[in-house]
Parts: sequence; C-alpha cells; structure tokens
Amino acid sequence: MSTTFLPCGVYHENYKQDHAWWQTKFIKSKMFLLFITLFFIIPWISDSYSLSICNQIGYTILGALGVQLLIGFCGQVTLGHAAFLAVGAYVSTLLVLEFPWPAVFVELGLAYPLSIFIAAIAAGLWCVLFGLPSARVKGFYLILTTMAAQFITVDFIITQYISQIGGRGQAFSLPPGTIKVGPWVIDSDVKVYYMMIVLTIICVVGVVNLLRSRVGRAWVAIRDNDISAEVMGINIIKYKLLAFFVAGFIGGIAGAVWISNLAAISPEHFPWFWSLWLVGVILIGGVGSIHGTIFGSIFMVVVMEALQMAVIPLADTYPKLLMDFLFIKEAAFGLAICGFLIFEPNGLAYRWWQIKNYFNLWPFSY
Amino acid sequence: MNVSKDIKQGEVLLEIDQIQMFFGKVCALNGVSTKIKKGEIHSVIGPNGAGKTVMLNCISGLYHPQKGNVYYKGEKINGMSPHNRAELGIARTFQKVEVFGGMTVLDNIRLGRHIHYKSGIMSGSLYMGKTAKEEIEHRKFIEEGIIDLLEIEHIRHKPVGMLPYGLQKRVELGRAIALEPELLLLDEPLAGLNLEEVEDMARFILDVNQDEKWKVTCILVEHDMGVVMDLSDNVFVLNFGNMIVDGSPEEVQGNPEVVKAYLGEEDLYATRR
Repeated sequence: MSTTFLPCGVYHENYKQDHAWWQTKFIKSKMFLLFITLFFIIPWISDSYSLSICNQIGYTILGALGVQLLIGFCGQVTLGHAAFLAVGAYVSTLLVLEFPWPAVFVELGLAYPLSIFIAAIAAGLWCVLFGLPSARVKGFYLILTTMAAQFITVDFIITQYISQIGGRGQAFSLPPGTIKVGPWVIDSDVKVYYMMIVLTIICVVGVVNLLRSRVGRAWVAIRDNDISAEVMGINIIKYKLLAFFVAGFIGGIAGAVWISNLAAISPEHFPWFWSLWLVGVILIGGVGSIHGTIFGSIFMVVVMEALQMAVIPLADTYPKLLMDFLFIKEAAFGLAICGFLIFEPNGLAYRWWQIKNYFNLWPFSY
Repeated sequence: MNVSKDIKQGEVLLEIDQIQMFFGKVCALNGVSTKIKKGEIHSVIGPNGAGKTVMLNCISGLYHPQKGNVYYKGEKINGMSPHNRAELGIARTFQKVEVFGGMTVLDNIRLGRHIHYKSGIMSGSLYMGKTAKEEIEHRKFIEEGIIDLLEIEHIRHKPVGMLPYGLQKRVELGRAIALEPELLLLDEPLAGLNLEEVEDMARFILDVNQDEKWKVTCILVEHDMGVVMDLSDNVFVLNFGNMIVDGSPEEVQGNPEVVKAYLGEEDLYATRR
C-alpha cells in the first residue's frame, strides 16, 4: 500500500522529516490522544468485563502480528501459529512453577518477566525449526509443514509429555500470586490490561521499525519476488528463518502473557482452530498491513462478543443456540471471511487508508 | 571467498571458460567462453532460444553450469550462490521485469542497496541512532545519485506494481545500479519500450557505463541491433548454445555466419527505425 498523502500545505525539507513516523503536528496530537485513551481512559471507564475483552484483543493482536509478519510481509503461509503461542505459554508456566529461582528473583518479581523473555526465545527457535522446510518448499507445501508444527507441538509433545510434568496429568494450575511483575501481583483484569498494552505497543513498534529498515525490506522483497531478491544480495534462507524467528518470538510473548489471564493452562487453549482464526484475523484486517492486524483483531473479538450477546436473549426459546454456540461462532467466522474476500479483499486497513486520504485531500480530492 | 582486488580499466573483469549447460538432453550452452574487460559494454546477441539468458543466469549464479568455470577478477566463483555474487559486485536486471510490485519505487531502490546497509534485527527494531542515520545517508545517495539520474522523482512513493512497463524497467535498472556494482548484467533492457523510452534507456546505460561516479562494466543482452551496434565495445554472438563470433561490432556485422543465423541479409538497422 502506498504511503498516505500529506495534507495540503505540508512539505518536508529534509530526509529526516520524511522518515519520521508521525509527520505532522495533527498526527502527533492524535497519537497522544490515543495513548491517553489507552492508558487512562479505557481502564478508568471500563468494567471488568470490557477490560477482559480488551485483553482478548491484545492477545489476538500479539498472536496475529506474528502471522501477519509471516504471511503478509514475508509471504510464508503459516497455519500452525497457535503451536508457538503454546510453546511460549508452556515454557513460561514451567519456568514460573518448576524452575528453582533464587529467592531474590521471586521477591523482586523478576521470575515472570524473565520467563516471558526466555519463553519468547524458545518459541522463536521452535518456530525456526518448523520454518526450515521453507528453504525448500513454497506455498501449499509450506502450509502443510506449518500445520505439522501444530499437531506435533500441541497434540503430541505438549499433551502427551509436557502435561505429565509434575504428575498433574492434564492442566497446569497457576495458583494466585505466582504471576508477579516487579512489586505487582497480576491478579486483576486491570493489571493484565496494562501488561498487555505495554507489550503490544512494544511489539507493534518493533515490527513497524523492522519493516522500515533493512530486515523488513528484505522480507517484503522475498514476498514479492524471491528470485530477484536473491540476486540483489539477500540471503533468502537466512531472512526467511529470521522472519520465522521473529514471528515465533512475538507468538511466544503472546502465549506467555496470556497465562497471566488464566487460572490454569491446558493444551485446549491452543487448538488448531486458533491458528486458523489468526489467519482469518489478518485476512479481515488486511494482509500486509500492521493497521490490518489491529483492526482485524478488534473486529473479530468484538463481533464474536456481540454475537454472544445477541444469542443470550434467544436462548430461552432456542436453548440449542447457546449449547452449540461454538458452531455459530465458526459459521460467523467463515461468513465474515467470505464477505471480506468478496467485498473488500484488501481488508479493513484499506478502508482506513481511503478514509484517511479522503480527509487529507479534502476538499480538493482530485 | 574474498575477492576485493582492484581491476584496472581494460583488464579482464569476468572470464567465462568453456561453460556447458544442459537441461536434460537439451544443450543450452555448449562450451562457451569469453572475456569481459572492465569498463566495456559487451553485448550478447543471438536468435531466440540461443542461450543468452542462460549465460547471464550462469554468471549471476541462478544456474550452475555442469562443466566449465566462471572467473570473476581472476577467482573462480563457480559454486557461489547468487547473493554472495551480489556482494562481489555483480548486479542484474531481468528480461521480464522482476520488480517488487508491492514496494514503493524508493523501497525498491533501497533494497538494491541491501548489501550496503548494516542494521540488523535488534538495531532495526529500535530504529534509533545508527539505523536512522544510515537510512538518511543512503536516502541521500539514492535521491541524488539514482532517482535524479533516472528521472523518476515524480513516482518515488508509488508502488511499482502500479507503474507502466517502461517505468518499471527504469526502476529495475535503478535497483540494480543501487548496488553500486562493478559488473551489470542487463537482460533485454529495451524490450517492449517505445522509441523515446529506448533512447532514454540507452542514455542511462551509457551514463552508468561512462560516468566517473559509476564506471560500471555492462553485459547487454538485446535484440535491438541499432542500439547494440551503437553502444557496444564488443559483441558476442550465440546460436543454439554455440558461440559464432566474439569481436567488435564491425567484425560481427561482416561475419557471413552471423548474417545467416541472425541478422538477416537486409538492412541491419531496419529494426524500429
């Protein structure tokens, strides 16, 4: 997508201004307002329920960001990203629960933040492992190898072996007070919200910065034309694996953060459908756009919640609706994707871009 | 392998020695050898299917010939992958434009400078200090050196996929010279362009070849005989994988075999004009 037009009368005098992220005063104040909304207004006006929806949105953004990076920017189609979320979540849980941290670490509340970082690296490396076939295969065949990641990781290794650690059998319960960041015990939706928002912003900023520097350009080049990318001096295998690493890294963060929102963690939190869901999110939001990831996540989570709300009053007359809600959800998901592919294949991000340009060029839109 | 020797004007920059390339039983190149001297424009001509593009692919590393050697600055580069050859200073354009359609013109050219950028995954994600400065320095080079030369100021922020064919070709040339190559492989840079665009493109190729700032050695694959004979220092004629002649344009035009195989008996410069 090309860059947005600048409003009338705004010119750049040097390259620094042209490379800047927020280029006009108006955008700067707009973003400032957005930050105030995110950090103060939303936690202030929201109740626990709407905050939990916000957390879900944050989780979806973090998960879909990695998928967007792989599919939208590097062209490596992945259908097993939930596996890497699972790796992040499980590594973090195991580190928090089983690892003999020195007492200082636990007291200072460093155990969980450190475990997030280690989990992210572990997930990144695990993702690289399943990205290795991308050196040889493309397209449909790569989809199959990434699906293998899902089944091998979640359905086999985690269900059969990891879950047996500590003799619990199925789920790891996370007793209250285990998840501690610094002096704060993460035990309420507001605290999860703050952690989620900070990490989401860091990840989004990191990915956007990558995309406007050397590494990100190499990824987009591989997506658009891998042969000429190689001739221009890009080691495509290295950069593909880097993309897998970063995607897995962000997925690992997503999984590790999500455990703070759960009382217990089991393989059922990371079904194959969730991988598919993340791909759906970026399809609806717009493939190849960071805005798209965010809009898609908001759209999907809010629409599904709204659907649930709509179904509850009908449940008295049609109890089956509530019982089989999962099927309704899946049907709505499919319908939404079909609708977007037919009517707006560029996703919500494209609409956003059009609206922005309309106002930037207004009133001289020719 | 570290090839960083300085080659003087007129010395051999690239040598192809007896390369043979088979696809199954089809012989695409049959023991072809030539020497490319630094600073010259060396054209490769021949009928369709003669093996011109295969020859370029062997030089840029997309194909690895079954027999024979490729020497760059006197060093054998046979097994090297394309991206390593790019780091040595070999850039190329493609016959069918292979631009990065989803990226802007500026990003395409920036990508050509990939090997000159330094930032990695950590510094890139922070985008502070060095990375930001590096981006500005390279931007300056691109704007003043390439965009200005190729006269594409008006489209620098447009996605390349939306541009007309002629401009895409120009962007592709810009991307290739952004690498600051010593050897530039041009695969039919003039195909499908109108007369004005052909003149522009020929001028750019001459600029890149002659300008003190660039001094790029070019290997030019082209069907437009007028341009080939005007621009080239040497012409290399291929016919079904066999070399017919390798010499100056006058020599080639006078060679009866070339006339029979490719140029035809009629007026040489009848094409396009």
